[in-house]
Amino acid sequence: MEQIGERLGAPCFSKLSDLPMARSSLTETAVASRTRKRSHRSRRAEAIVAVLFLVPALLLVLMFRIIPLFWGFGISLTSATATDPGEFIGAANYLRALDDPNFRSSMVNAGAILLAVPFFVTIPMILAILIDQGVPGRGFFRSVYFFPAVLSSVIIGSIFSIVLGFNGSLNGALKMLGIPGVDWLGRSSTALPVTLIIQSWSTFGMGVLIFLAGLSTVPREMVEAARLEGAKMWQIWWHIIIPELRPIIEFSTVITTIGLLTSMFGLIYVLTGGGPGTSTTVPEYLIWTAQGRLNQPAYAAALSMILFAVTGILAWLQIRMLSRNANL
Amino acid sequence: MAGAGKRQRLSLRIAAIPMGLLALSCLYPIFFAVNNALKTRHDYLLDRFGLAMQPTFDNFVQAWTRSHLDQYFFNSVITTAGAVILLMVISSLAGFALACLRFPYRRFIFVVILSSLMIPVQVVLVPYMRTMVGLHLIDTRIGLILSYTAFFLPFSVYMMTAFYSGLPRELIEAARIDGAKLLQVWWHVMVPLGMPAMITLGILNTLNCWNDVLIALLTMQKNRTLMVGISALKGQYSDQIPLFTAGIVIAAAPIVILYIIFQRRIVSGIAVGAVKG
Repeated sequence: MEQIGERLGAPCFSKLSDLPMARSSLTETAVASRTRKRSHRSRRAEAIVAVLFLVPALLLVLMFRIIPLFWGFGISLTSATATDPGEFIGAANYLRALDDPNFRSSMVNAGAILLAVPFFVTIPMILAILIDQGVPGRGFFRSVYFFPAVLSSVIIGSIFSIVLGFNGSLNGALKMLGIPGVDWLGRSSTALPVTLIIQSWSTFGMGVLIFLAGLSTVPREMVEAARLEGAKMWQIWWHIIIPELRPIIEFSTVITTIGLLTSMFGLIYVLTGGGPGTSTTVPEYLIWTAQGRLNQPAYAAALSMILFAVTGILAWLQIRMLSRNANL
Repeated sequence: MAGAGKRQRLSLRIAAIPMGLLALSCLYPIFFAVNNALKTRHDYLLDRFGLAMQPTFDNFVQAWTRSHLDQYFFNSVITTAGAVILLMVISSLAGFALACLRFPYRRFIFVVILSSLMIPVQVVLVPYMRTMVGLHLIDTRIGLILSYTAFFLPFSVYMMTAFYSGLPRELIEAARIDGAKLLQVWWHVMVPLGMPAMITLGILNTLNCWNDVLIALLTMQKNRTLMVGISALKGQYSDQIPLFTAGIVIAAAPIVILYIIFQRRIVSGIAVGAVKG
């Protein structure tokens, strides 16, 4: 659950067409007459002050994010190492990625992770609907479910590495039941599923919160009316609640996907180190390995661009989807 | 109808059982860590699941003093506090300008700041590291503070802009007609008015910075933060679980306390972000 705001924030800006700017431009007309009266000089002064107020934010964002994006693309076309700027080699780094078995398996792992997205979305949705419908103990659930999401992936990874290690508590408990232990994190067949389960366990509370926020917009009268007409619970869910939640489902799908592609580093780093072999290596982890351990920054930059291409498409989808929702 | 209601209540009660187990699973890891941190190594080897019968704080003392957790903790506190304060000031200034002032390319600048949300650190890893090296910011706290500020800024600016543009314009206009300079308007009007949003942002950013491992791992190799330190301890202390869990408890404690105190604020802050999105 790294970067709470980041993940939630991403979709927000895509609705900028109807959010802060639009609102202030509405009021613009109201103040326009007063503004016009103000002298030309004071309006220029206002612009200068505004720019000064924005300089720190713009400087940081340009310096650490926007300029590096273009710079990184430049590096990806060279043979640079940590000490040598290298020379222009065109798309060679990208072609190398296609041949790199590590990159291929990281993409396969990413694909497997993305297959789990429907579960990441529907489980929190079902839990949120149940809480909203008044399951006993809902206040408790609501406050406890979010708890793992505020803990660092390092904390969660460390605890689970103790629990799931070959000599760990889970195997100890299984032994008492007469079941032989499994090296959960040391076997390539179990490492990725186990990592994914831990990731979903540690972030589902976030999804529950998002769906609860969405459920508060579902008209109560509609649900009540259906109930009075004798609709069964599953009918109400299927025909009323879930269709009403559609924008939230889309929203949740996109932020979950972006989250799975860009915020599993901490958990993998602590839990498996990408192994055994490459069985839990994902693209973001491979980028880090290529830059640091392998000292191949140019190749790392190319992998970054590939990751950006994927998340960029998702962000674009998100923008389209949300602006459509906004026009309703 | 009453039957349907009754049946629904029954199914909700049945659903409460797995939901309750899930809720317990959310609390278990922290219980597990605290419980084992209170055991001696010997007690842990004898009985891993039982309660710590003779709780000892020895592990905490050892982890704090011998494993440099005191240094790591200090680094985490300084960098988190520095970044959170900087984020509050910068995003409030930017939000004020974007929401209340008129100047050319206003919308464009808003888009530039927000579009950087699409660029997580992994996407700019190599040039980011070069920037840090070039500016001699590697292994410095100020470097990490600036990095956190840059990477968590767009959402904060968005929140402050949204919050300020929801305020009645007369407030700002009135302050300005009184002849106050814009910096004074910001300090005497916008900062106090924006406090609720700034506190929510402060809490969310505290979680983000304190919990971060990737950025700190890249830039603070020698001068570790808690999360980097804990992940390094993991390999070192694989046969001293109670000591290691004590480290985990120390690293998680500030966040757990923050969550207990500000739970409502955290939850509503995130819900607001979600519904707006």
